[in-house]
Amino acid sequence: MLNTLSLLHGLRFIDSFFPSGGYAYSSGLEAAVQGGAVRSGEQLSQYVGQMFRQGVARREAVAVGIAHEALLRNDVQVALAIDHELHAMKLGQESRLASQQMGRQVVKIAAEPPAAHVVLRDFYAAMKTDRTPGHFPVVLGLTLADAGWDRAETIAAFCYQTAIGFVSAALKLLPMGQREGQHLLERWTPLFDECAKEATEATTMTAWSPVQDIYAMRHARLESRLFRS
Amino acid sequence: MPPLQSNQPAMADVGRVGSLDLRYRRDGSRTILASSRCSTPWHFFPPAYLDDSGCAVTSLVNPSGGFVAGDHLSIHAALEEGAHVMMTTPSANRVYRSLGEESKQSVSLSVAPGAVIEWFPEVTIPFAGSRFVQTMAVMLAKGATALIWDSLASGRVARGERWAFTSLRNEIDLTLASGARLLERYHVRPEQEPHGFGLISAYDYVASFFVVSEALDPDRWPALRDTIVGILDSFGSDLLGGVTEPPVPGLAVKLVSRSPEALVMVQERVWEATRREVLGLARPALRHY
Repeated sequence: MLNTLSLLHGLRFIDSFFPSGGYAYSSGLEAAVQGGAVRSGEQLSQYVGQMFRQGVARREAVAVGIAHEALLRNDVQVALAIDHELHAMKLGQESRLASQQMGRQVVKIAAEPPAAHVVLRDFYAAMKTDRTPGHFPVVLGLTLADAGWDRAETIAAFCYQTAIGFVSAALKLLPMGQREGQHLLERWTPLFDECAKEATEATTMTAWSPVQDIYAMRHARLESRLFRS
Repeated sequence: MPPLQSNQPAMADVGRVGSLDLRYRRDGSRTILASSRCSTPWHFFPPAYLDDSGCAVTSLVNPSGGFVAGDHLSIHAALEEGAHVMMTTPSANRVYRSLGEESKQSVSLSVAPGAVIEWFPEVTIPFAGSRFVQTMAVMLAKGATALIWDSLASGRVARGERWAFTSLRNEIDLTLASGARLLERYHVRPEQEPHGFGLISAYDYVASFFVVSEALDPDRWPALRDTIVGILDSFGSDLLGGVTEPPVPGLAVKLVSRSPEALVMVQERVWEATRREVLGLARPALRHY
């Protein structure tokens, strides 16, 4: 359970005020909206819910948990290995670049000496010398572990922040308002809890969201775009 | 006479645990099979040469008709320097219902410098209640090229059986000499999705295509990408597909299709375009249909 100081240390990396650049990405949602697959808040809920259950919870969230464990075990090699494997699994170029960009933004602040944990600093050093791609889920797992958050809390926070990104993008792409966005987040909250429980136990990353993956690939070809992914 | 206890496990494996080991070598303008070994249920056929490119077209024949619970089949192929091999199957890969045990297929392909592997098996059809595990590891030396196609049906669609298998795990792992890697890994359990199967429910076929090569001039990938995008978009609402630059030199294509005809046609056209751009060759006529 978080103490207040740990909560506050970690919260700023989850807060939308943190300059991770997440607002610039829609993770393929923009292409799905333009393609007619998502036209309403209800369809958004289905789209994102499936993506969480079969994609995010089994891949990115697992990487978050393994990175978290790496810091607790004082083993940067584990973090580097999961970072490379996640990189190999992120086939979509835009999604891959977005994840790396957000990872860089977070680690630059999280790994600032002297307070940062040695594993986080070593990981950042590997990123700076191109020895590891530095994906956001791995960086966030290390960062919140360093802040004192436990594994399930860290994964749930990652899920929440990812969902915020979808809702934030949807507010610009769909005819829905803040109130409906908040209702969606409320509806998804048990989902984050499920994802955290599943990902905490998992040791192997998998992902099955082919339609969402295809829309993420198609995003780069859209004639007009609000988002970078 | 008492049973031969010590041989029982081995006897139980006969016809269920089979391996196919193949080694190819470039011999003049042709690629030849330098050595081979197989055990049942694999049945060995010598390579065919369907055009004058010297490409050794190898049909992977499993006369048992498909996978039953407990089957574990493996394929190991080594392509020596400059060899060119195309591997396919004569019919769909059927996976039968299982009450408990999984059926497995593991594939490992080692591709030497300048060699080319093309992997185009027919679609995998997991029957209702089936449990299947497929792993594929491809090691590409510097200058090697791989064209990998993998497709999955939702089930026996013609009889209305869709997304009714119990479990399907699939992994395609391509590693380059530089250490760069492309990994697709999924585990699908339709029965365990209490919230439904989502957007994929509208489709009956899923396919991935990867073309990976350090040998091709990087400036040529965008043109091929544009060509494939045009092919994918030409199918209208029958098919949804995307193309992207994966974390290795090449292209990754993902698509879902509502009809088997669209799946077959898109495979032929994407393969044709890729072969012409990357290998300078036309697609061979496999005469499956």
